[in-house]
Amino acid sequence: MAGPRTFHRLLIANRGEVATRIARACDAMGITPVFAVSEADREAPYCEGREVIVLGPARAALSYLDPIKVVQAAVQTRCTALHPGWGFLSENARFSALCGSHGVTFVGPPPQVMALMGTKTPAKRAMAAAGLALIPGSDGVLADADEARAVADRVGYPVLVKAESGGGGRGMRIARSAGELAAAFADASGEAQAAFGDPRVYLEKLVEGGRHVEIQILADNYGNVVHLGERDCTVQRNHQKLIEESPSPVLDQDERARTLEAAVRAAASIGYVGAGTMEFLLDEGGTLRFMEMNTRLQVEHSVTEMRSGVDLVVAQIEIAAGRPLCWTQADIALEGHAIECRINAEDPADAFRPAPGTITHWKAPATTNGFVRVDTHVTSGYTVPPHYDSLIAKVITRAADRDGACDRMIAALQELECTGVPTTVPMHLAILRSARFRASAYDTRAIPGWPPLE
Amino acid sequence: MAHVPLVPIGDPLATVADERTQDEHRQALAVLEERLRGQRAEVHAGWGPTYVDRVHAKGKLTSRERVERLKDSGTQIFEVGTFVNHGEVFANDMRSPAAGVVTAFARIEGRWCMVIANDNTVASGAWWPRTPEKIQRAQTMALRLRLPTIYLVDCSGLFLPEQSRSFPGARGAGHIFKMNSVLSASGVPQIAGVFGDCIAGGGYMPLISDRVYMTEQAYMVIAGAALIKGAKSQKMTSLDIGGPEVHVHQSGCADVRVPDDETLLACVRRDVARLPSSGADFYRGDIGAMEPLHRASELGAILPTDHREAYDAVQVLARLCDQSLFWELMPEVGEEIMCGVGRVGGLYAGFVINRQGLVGDPEHPGRRRPAGILYRAGIAKISAFSRACNADGIPLIWLQDISGFDIGAEAERHGLLAYGSNLIYTNSTNETPMFTVLLRKASGAGYYAMTGLPYDPVMQLSTVLSRQSVMEGRTLAIAAYNTKLDDDFRITTDDPDERARIETDMREVEERIEKDMDPFVAARQMDTDEIVELGELRAWLAAAVEMSYQGVGYRRVKNPRIWSLHDLHELVGGVR
Repeated sequence: MAGPRTFHRLLIANRGEVATRIARACDAMGITPVFAVSEADREAPYCEGREVIVLGPARAALSYLDPIKVVQAAVQTRCTALHPGWGFLSENARFSALCGSHGVTFVGPPPQVMALMGTKTPAKRAMAAAGLALIPGSDGVLADADEARAVADRVGYPVLVKAESGGGGRGMRIARSAGELAAAFADASGEAQAAFGDPRVYLEKLVEGGRHVEIQILADNYGNVVHLGERDCTVQRNHQKLIEESPSPVLDQDERARTLEAAVRAAASIGYVGAGTMEFLLDEGGTLRFMEMNTRLQVEHSVTEMRSGVDLVVAQIEIAAGRPLCWTQADIALEGHAIECRINAEDPADAFRPAPGTITHWKAPATTNGFVRVDTHVTSGYTVPPHYDSLIAKVITRAADRDGACDRMIAALQELECTGVPTTVPMHLAILRSARFRASAYDTRAIPGWPPLE
Repeated sequence: MAHVPLVPIGDPLATVADERTQDEHRQALAVLEERLRGQRAEVHAGWGPTYVDRVHAKGKLTSRERVERLKDSGTQIFEVGTFVNHGEVFANDMRSPAAGVVTAFARIEGRWCMVIANDNTVASGAWWPRTPEKIQRAQTMALRLRLPTIYLVDCSGLFLPEQSRSFPGARGAGHIFKMNSVLSASGVPQIAGVFGDCIAGGGYMPLISDRVYMTEQAYMVIAGAALIKGAKSQKMTSLDIGGPEVHVHQSGCADVRVPDDETLLACVRRDVARLPSSGADFYRGDIGAMEPLHRASELGAILPTDHREAYDAVQVLARLCDQSLFWELMPEVGEEIMCGVGRVGGLYAGFVINRQGLVGDPEHPGRRRPAGILYRAGIAKISAFSRACNADGIPLIWLQDISGFDIGAEAERHGLLAYGSNLIYTNSTNETPMFTVLLRKASGAGYYAMTGLPYDPVMQLSTVLSRQSVMEGRTLAIAAYNTKLDDDFRITTDDPDERARIETDMREVEERIEKDMDPFVAARQMDTDEIVELGELRAWLAAAVEMSYQGVGYRRVKNPRIWSLHDLHELVGGVR
């Protein structure tokens, strides 16, 4: 039998659901996947029968997050490519360059593109140049509080002062009036200096609520770029997405077409390569405003796969091996409506408390006819370790329209059996059955239909 | 392994130094860099607003305004020789900020160029003592890197009261035209714009250029009435003798006449755009420029201003290399020095840097000895590294903080004289572009061995902490009064008068040396090319490295697969 036509061996530098997802693509392509695992995951059932290399202790900082250990693991197991999945090192430009320096192809965009998109104002400037709308605000970092005042007067209050090198909500202050601005500027700048060693801040109009819409992009090494439509991820809790769907139930057709086209142009203009997602805020006026670009595979990529029939992970690996895209935009057909529920081992009735532990019994919904898909690494007897996130499965359904997809999802979730740990399934059922969700009358501030009214 | 196995280096600032130490370093440095900014502003002001107004009144731009308009918008100008003649007073109590000429690297239409612009706010662009040397130095830099060279000519001729210091001699004004010729003979494109006076010898400078523009206010003459009559040149009708009407149409000494300064600058930009584009992007390949992970602006918090205090050289490299990734070669030998390769602005560069503090002593296992000087293995290491970079065409950056060679019986027995000469031979014959930075100390033979200015680096930069000398003042005082001191450097005499005299003399020696080590003195005398802020260093190096890869075809640039560095790595540290 002939070997694979791309890489022979690929290191999966991740765990859990995404590790099994990448392995499935490798299996389909004839690539031998090697699972790089922490000590906490080495006995996990999803690693059974697989090649495994142990990175280090359970603590992610000493295993999944240690760039040198991960690259060493790839070199040692003679892997010529590495898929970072999501989270961990997936958006670390320095790690990507490190892979390149040691002969390991990083499945993702070139490091300088990751670095550019990892910065705040340069990324926005590049995207605006390609025609994407931005949240109104300062053009780059602010020189002083006076400049902040001038910009705030122009865009209108309330405004948000944000750290240029920020993240995780630190170095961020809201000013609701001109009187609060000087203090907000000083506080944000001071906190940014203390936390990130960089006092520079910029300013944006504070958009309260709004919907979260994102665009999936695929680009090859040769300047070809296509989009695979949008996803609406407005059902969130503290910026954690719970339900994603495609198409967005509220997006205007013209705005969709205009932004999809601009997104493709933007990706080409920065030399983007691989799969990427541009995240937008859909404001009350119906305008999509660019927020940031994720330079990696996303959890909710499966929603897009259900509508397009494209295997995004296979596409990522082929692109990394230097293949040109095998479609033009006209070849991509997006059919029906798809929806995804993230099933976490958390107790939604108890403030979403993470609930690691052993799943004594697990039965996934039936996936007949291709209308229901379940992505999971979980089997009966699997222990959810306490060290990492609590995603245990994703259930994705498709139908001709939104209501049909929701009904199919309700049926699938009712079929799902999980004992031993609490899950977010009851919450999903409540949301899917709620009138607010069905009417698409919600924004990112509150979960429609949850908690249930007594 | 044909990869360039870069690995992460450096640590977050908070773990390198505690906050109090950081603040101390930053504050001590801020005082010195404030002085630098002040002096720079003073030089940039030329002879002041009166003279700027006078230029504007003629409908002309000042030379600095011209350079500013010539460069690509949003790019930084890297000026060299800012402080030449700074503080010097010439005949008739005259001063010459920047020696009356701006020499700067500027990016024009994506290509690095050397711009040489007579400062028309300083004695109408006259040539002072050291002006010819400064222009020749800029021409030499351009020649080394094959950078297009642009002359913005607006020059009333030699400053005659001091002509004996700028006219004759091996580096007299005429040597500028020799350099014009050498640049031309080496295939370096030269473009000249004549904006005003261009008298006598100055007339030759534009003519050798490949393309000569003249504004309607420009004239070129071998001998204007000005030279004969002394100083009153402005009112002469030299325009009729040598204006564009004559030179563009009748004599053919210039190519194009343009109405004004702005049009001329636009024409120069258009010409540069017609030149081959930079090779830098080709050599970068698919890897773009990226900032260091550990920010370059943190250098000021790391380097102690007191040259006797140590710091970790790794932290300095981490703040200069892209993404703080670096491949150190031969770490096992010559611990007092580090050498290796990193990317700067996406392009490979070699680095050599002195370690500070104490390092292991291979001669006496278990013992430690001071770094910041060179021992046998370290000299051999950088010699081999320097040769390999030259063989591979990797631009080489020398980061000096060195007080000299090891001395004493053991050092002589080891033959450091010969090892040092070997290194000097290597650096003297290297053809790869080399750049030298005097981080702090640059003393004795160490300054020479690590490609100080006498060894022709393309450019030598100083910081405000730089100290160039044969030895520290204290050391010299002791050496000079050796016979009067005991083994503990105490004065031996019992005569109180003699003791007082020796004490005063020794203090004077020390103070004089200290004063001469001021980087501003070095910059005034052209013993260094420019003084830069520590926070600017990364930008300077990125520009220098990019310039080194701009020209294609004039020097060897090997791809990393065939680097001889790999051989060194295998021979010294490879698997046995």
